[in-house]
Amino acid sequence: MAYIIAALSILCILGGLFFFTTATIGLLRFPDFFTRLHATGKGDTLAVFLCLIGFAIHEGLSLTALKIVVIAAFMFLAQPTATHAISRAGIRHGLKPWVKGEEK
Amino acid sequence: MNEFFVAVGLGMCLLVFLVLYRVIFGPGVFNRIAAISAIGTKTLIILLVLGYVYNRVDMFIDISMVYALLNFIGCIAAAKYLEMER
Amino acid sequence: MIISSDDIIIKTIARIFVPFIQLYALYVIMHGHYSPGGGFQGGVILGASLALLLITHGYDEMRRRIPEGVVILLGSVGVLIYAGIGLTCLLLGGNYLDYSQLSVILHVDPAHARSLGILGVELGVGFTVMAIMYSIFFDISTGGILPSDEKRSEEWGDNE
Repeated sequence: MAYIIAALSILCILGGLFFFTTATIGLLRFPDFFTRLHATGKGDTLAVFLCLIGFAIHEGLSLTALKIVVIAAFMFLAQPTATHAISRAGIRHGLKPWVKGEEK
Repeated sequence: MNEFFVAVGLGMCLLVFLVLYRVIFGPGVFNRIAAISAIGTKTLIILLVLGYVYNRVDMFIDISMVYALLNFIGCIAAAKYLEMER
Repeated sequence: MIISSDDIIIKTIARIFVPFIQLYALYVIMHGHYSPGGGFQGGVILGASLALLLITHGYDEMRRRIPEGVVILLGSVGVLIYAGIGLTCLLLGGNYLDYSQLSVILHVDPAHARSLGILGVELGVGFTVMAIMYSIFFDISTGGILPSDEKRSEEWGDNE
């Protein structure tokens, strides 16, 4: 039984690490501000959620696991709101989206 | 299991150094704010991994919750400030 | 002057999160002797929750909900709690802030009375820090322009 819990936890954390890596590569290589927001807003949220679920499974049924689940729920609601706020600020400030064929 | 957590922590540190490129060279201030929010998210995981290494998870959970709160509030405050018309 | 945000998502999320943030700040104040926390840290988190409300809901709405007089009064109540506990220990025959003298009032042994005394002091410090942080942020955010000045310049016309 302990092997199954450990294997599940390692699987979740490795999945989270994979999504973190792809989100970082997207943040570095995308051509425009709004596309970079896509990468970091969606990829980072899912990656943090998976990593925290992995940590919670490793703890078992205790108070610590409940606190980690609370942090995961908060990040799942708060990170997209922050992305929405800063993209609205970018549109209001006058940034234009990148059209295919332009310079970077 | 302990070695696996240390490896995850080192991987996250490497990712933080990669995002630092966008903080330094991002053209304009908006790219920098998005990158700092991403660094804050990765720091949350590094704090929990440190808790496992020192075998005191209960202490580091409270610290990481406070950091998540402050990251969120800081990003919204910066977006509110930058919303003026050009 | 901070104008209210005209986006329904940010306003709703801020309104949902603020009670939970304040509950967590109270947890941090109470667990000061057992985990990282205490009076100052909990007070800062409480002040940050009120600052979040000010950013998303604007100056007029927050002035209607929390007037400036109430905030300063809350800060004074915090100092009163702190100094009051110290003076009570002095009046009961010990030194200033010598919590073991409180065991006469509370009917517990002196070690327990010390723990309860420091808890009361941390609560007072938390109240004061919250009030002063919110008050400073509220005053600085106007940028020196009060609503009465703006109304007066509208009535008299611009002199430019």
